[in-house]
Amino acid sequence: MNTTNEKLIELLKEVIDPELMVNIVDLGLVYGVTINESTHEIDVDLTLTSPGCPMGDMITEDAKQLINANYPTYETEIHLVWDPVWSIEKLTEKGKEELGYF
Amino acid sequence: MNQIASQNAPSPKVVVPHFVFGSLTWLVVSLLILFNPTAFTQHFFNPLLLSITHLLALGWMTMVIFGALYQLIPVIMEVKLYSERFALFSFVLLGFGSVLLAYSFWQFSFHSILFVGATFVVVAVVFFVTNVLITAYSSKKKNIERIFIITASIWLLFTVLAGLTLAINFAFPFMKTSNLELLKLHAHAGIVGWFIQLIIGVSSKLLPMFMVSHNLKTKKLTYAYFLINIGLIFGIISLFIQWKSGVIISVIMVVLGIFSYLSFIFKAYKKRVKKRLDIGMKQSALSFVVLVIPLFLILSLVFNFELINNLTLPLSVAYGSTIFIGFISSLIMGQTYKTLPFIIWLKVYRGRIGKVKLPLPKDLFAEKVAVAQLWLFAIGFLLLLTGISSTTNCLVSTGGTVLFLSVALYNYNVLKIIFHKPKKT
Repeated sequence: MNTTNEKLIELLKEVIDPELMVNIVDLGLVYGVTINESTHEIDVDLTLTSPGCPMGDMITEDAKQLINANYPTYETEIHLVWDPVWSIEKLTEKGKEELGYF
Repeated sequence: MNQIASQNAPSPKVVVPHFVFGSLTWLVVSLLILFNPTAFTQHFFNPLLLSITHLLALGWMTMVIFGALYQLIPVIMEVKLYSERFALFSFVLLGFGSVLLAYSFWQFSFHSILFVGATFVVVAVVFFVTNVLITAYSSKKKNIERIFIITASIWLLFTVLAGLTLAINFAFPFMKTSNLELLKLHAHAGIVGWFIQLIIGVSSKLLPMFMVSHNLKTKKLTYAYFLINIGLIFGIISLFIQWKSGVIISVIMVVLGIFSYLSFIFKAYKKRVKKRLDIGMKQSALSFVVLVIPLFLILSLVFNFELINNLTLPLSVAYGSTIFIGFISSLIMGQTYKTLPFIIWLKVYRGRIGKVKLPLPKDLFAEKVAVAQLWLFAIGFLLLLTGISSTTNCLVSTGGTVLFLSVALYNYNVLKIIFHKPKKT
């Protein structure tokens, strides 16, 4: 992963899942980010812990607005992805710790 | 692609009045318990208890469940609610109907006001059931949770129609079966067919979602569905024809069905990713523990064990109170903290998400108040149950007082959430 992508991932740590109180990166909800420097487009593949998650709207909107605020010259697209389905294995060590998993 | 549930959410104007009416009714009921302990220390077929039970079951529990369902059906079935207008008609009719019914029972008058109230409730339920069925029909999600909700709604319609028939039979007797047996039939269609089955349908989707429990097999829910519904139909027929062995078989089937569901919930709890339970989930957990009490009570009552022969009447009241107050009311109070803040949060902050730093839905209520509410509830309910089982009026009254304090705190938080205003920046 290049440094620009890493910066974006770091930025997305500001988006918190309000039910679980853990950021979406450590929850493993961010499946991928692509920054196209030539077309000035950002694509984020994002999933939710459950397809019916009532907080889904808020999480995707929050992520989009945050990127727009920090990358004002870019066009941002958030893609909701359901394959592969989110599972516990996607949690980072920090995410597990914050959920009291240990 | 799956739709996001909040895109299908109904207007808060439809959902919120149900919570306001329901929580205020619960406050009134707790006052009625406090000042009328004798309702709980005599035969369960008495005007005060009939009045309190109907206010509790319709004005509080069913009212909040209706409101919550309008919000949750889009989550569970991933489709928009068919008609918000139907929901509002249903709200108004159920509100008036439950108050009129409670008043008539209090007066023990089986005349026009009772029939007007009962008709209002029946029409309210017809609007609700039509709304649920049409919404469910348009959903592509054919899961077990949806089947539970549909079946529970049909049982609700059966319950209120049975109630209306019972009221007619009181005024103009036309059935051979005793009113007491018919009352048991009506009550169990409501308790098991409507409340418990609806709770199973909604909670088996929401609780794993709140606890983030994955890879759960729904086979236990399927067992629960068949055991509960076959058992209930069998029980109702047995009560009607007064076949005692049939009643015993039906009770065993329903209890096994509920245990099958409880083992599903326990599995979800064991597999949860979110290890720390928040205050809403703690009160919900308490209600599931309490649910085990009536399951043992009903088995003891139908088998008429020698030891409890003299206690049959108080234990019957204890059985009903444990289900209505210890289980359902407690679960609704807990789950209010999981649903209402989100509904209001979305209403207040939609459109501002990501633009400014926002509070979280859980910041909309006072957590310390919710903790105090939970403790007071546990103590109040324990006192109430002891008072009922030992037919001690002062204990029932003390339990009622502590419960009233708990419900007052609950009301405080409900109103705090509903009237939440964003901080000026």
